[in-house]
Amino acid sequence: MNPLSLLFKKQYAVEEKVQRLLRFLEDMAHLYQAAYEAYLEGSIEEFSQRNQELGEIEKKMDELGHQIQMTLLHESLMPNSRDDLLWFLTKLDKVPSNCKHSLGDILLEKPEIPEELHSSMKNMLIHTHLAVQALAHATDSLFSDLRSVRQHVEEVSRQESEVDKIEYKLLQMVFENKKYDLAMQYQLKGILKQIGRVTNLAEDVADAVLILATKHST
Amino acid sequence: MIDPVIIIFLTGGLFLGWSLGANDAANVFGTAVGSRMVRFTTAALICGIFVILGATISGTGTSLTLGKLGAVNALGGSFMAALAAGLTVYWMTKFGLPVSTSQAIIGSIIGWNLFSDSYTDLSSLLKILSTWVVCPLLSALIAALLFTLAKSFVRKVSIGLIRLDGYTRLALILAGAFGAYSLGANNIANVMGVFVPVAPFTDIQVGSIFRISSIQQLFLLGGLAIAVGVFTYSKRVMMTVGSELITLTPLAAWVAVMAHSIVLFLFASERLEQFLANLSLPTIPLVPVSSSQAVVGAVIGIGIVQGGRELQWQRIYSIVRGWVITPIISLLICIVGLYFLQNVFQQTVKRESQYQLSSGVLEQFRKAGINTDELATLTGSVFFSSAEVVRAVKAVVPLSSQQGLKVVEYSLQNSLVINAEKLSAIDEHFLSTQQLEALKQLEGEKYKYSWQLGNALAQKSKEWELRGDGLKNKLKDREIKRKLAYLYRLFKEEEK
Repeated sequence: MNPLSLLFKKQYAVEEKVQRLLRFLEDMAHLYQAAYEAYLEGSIEEFSQRNQELGEIEKKMDELGHQIQMTLLHESLMPNSRDDLLWFLTKLDKVPSNCKHSLGDILLEKPEIPEELHSSMKNMLIHTHLAVQALAHATDSLFSDLRSVRQHVEEVSRQESEVDKIEYKLLQMVFENKKYDLAMQYQLKGILKQIGRVTNLAEDVADAVLILATKHST
Repeated sequence: MIDPVIIIFLTGGLFLGWSLGANDAANVFGTAVGSRMVRFTTAALICGIFVILGATISGTGTSLTLGKLGAVNALGGSFMAALAAGLTVYWMTKFGLPVSTSQAIIGSIIGWNLFSDSYTDLSSLLKILSTWVVCPLLSALIAALLFTLAKSFVRKVSIGLIRLDGYTRLALILAGAFGAYSLGANNIANVMGVFVPVAPFTDIQVGSIFRISSIQQLFLLGGLAIAVGVFTYSKRVMMTVGSELITLTPLAAWVAVMAHSIVLFLFASERLEQFLANLSLPTIPLVPVSSSQAVVGAVIGIGIVQGGRELQWQRIYSIVRGWVITPIISLLICIVGLYFLQNVFQQTVKRESQYQLSSGVLEQFRKAGINTDELATLTGSVFFSSAEVVRAVKAVVPLSSQQGLKVVEYSLQNSLVINAEKLSAIDEHFLSTQQLEALKQLEGEKYKYSWQLGNALAQKSKEWELRGDGLKNKLKDREIKRKLAYLYRLFKEEEK
């Protein structure tokens, strides 16, 4: 047995839990995209199924996040790193919550999304998925290789900027189209903003990752 | 059974040890404990154990330099010197002024020298004073270098935050243990050095190999006092140091502790001295240096590497001012305390010694490079203090500081009788077979001066011969001198 793993048992246990949390985050990003796509394809049943799966993952992430927080509070990490990680986990937790609420709103409102928006929205969802995935990689690097954090964080920013551009284009399409009444325009705006918020949050968390990496490697 | 008076007098040193533990442990673990990177109990336990180990195993080197500055020859004097230094450290800490035990004890020793009219070896004093400048500078340099290397290493190595955290914590604990060992080795001379010439213990032999000398027992006791200081009072100081230096990152904190420990170790390690000597490189003097100076130097070094903007020069100035004030206050307290101890409490604070010049002594002077042509007029004169004899000789011929020390050493009367009873008490493992054989041949001899025994032994066996001032022979000669000092104590004729 590696003597280091005995000596740093607690640290390795936290790392393992964080890894599990990040795999859940990636699964959740995939389910978020799949659920929306199913809805756009008109398959409410599949959407409900994906939404339910995402809810379960979000719950698991919640529990795991809580476990990590407890470990950090009770086990022996240096207070400086512990406080930073607790702050970071609280920020990270907002991403799955936002995805869950975004799908929950769709399920509740069952909005009619015009066909002409589908293609761009799917594109927006792909970039959202990629942004969250890059965030998972950035976070993974924070716990395995501080040097490569920056490149993943830059990837999150790139994807977020893509999402922003598509969102703006879609909003223009919505508000310039006179066929849609005002209520529909605002409902669609809400949906698009909700998707856009996921990447905004991902970018926020990625920035936090970069701050932590810089702080702890100097 | 040790005389209770001796125990009372030793409390001066124990108090100083306690003060050192309470204050200087903060230099080792302050940043780690103050910023809660390491728990206090963990830090105190490691610090306590390693301070004792350092003091007992490697503490003797620096005490020799301190002994050259002034050999306090009465227990009462040692008590007051240690107490004055302890009180200075304690009071200045209470007033929030940064202190150094090393500087306090130097002040005390000079105070005793002045009070007892004893000779102060200026070259040893200058050697010690120079380290007060060299120590923080060297520490700053090592810290700057180490910090640059450590930062570049962390940036290059593939590591995550949690492992980095764990490794840094382990590194801090290891550096702290090294620091505590170095602190014990380097600073024990401050605590117990003044008691070395009057050590009240006898050597203990455990089995056939393990031997604890009286000085090691003294240092063990001092180490324990330091450990008690760490456990009872250092937490508060550690929290203060830690919060003052809270801007240090864990990596910088590690660098500060490492640089501090390396410097203390450099000034305490006899083995390193021998290693450098073997390579014909200049050696580092074995001097008790201030751990406060070392850690402040290290923090400045790190600050400079980071651009120097965060350095609080006003604070640094007040710290440096404290370094100047400490020895002066300690010197004054020591003189006043000695006066009261001698005249109010009727205690002996200096042992009466006689210094006499004879033809043999003049011959020794000549060998030491002193011009003896006009010293014959002083033959037979008796002097009652070391400073007096040096003044008398100096009035006739010019003397360097080192030669002044030789005058004191060779003219000091110390009657020795080599008798069978004491010869049989010598541990066979302490001396080599040849050394013991040479000593046995001198049974029944009497000597008026200590050096006469040294010379007689050197004539009997090459193993008693001092090789001279060459760097490579330094450690060997020091070992012979240590053995001779033991014999001088052992065969000293009892006062009637």
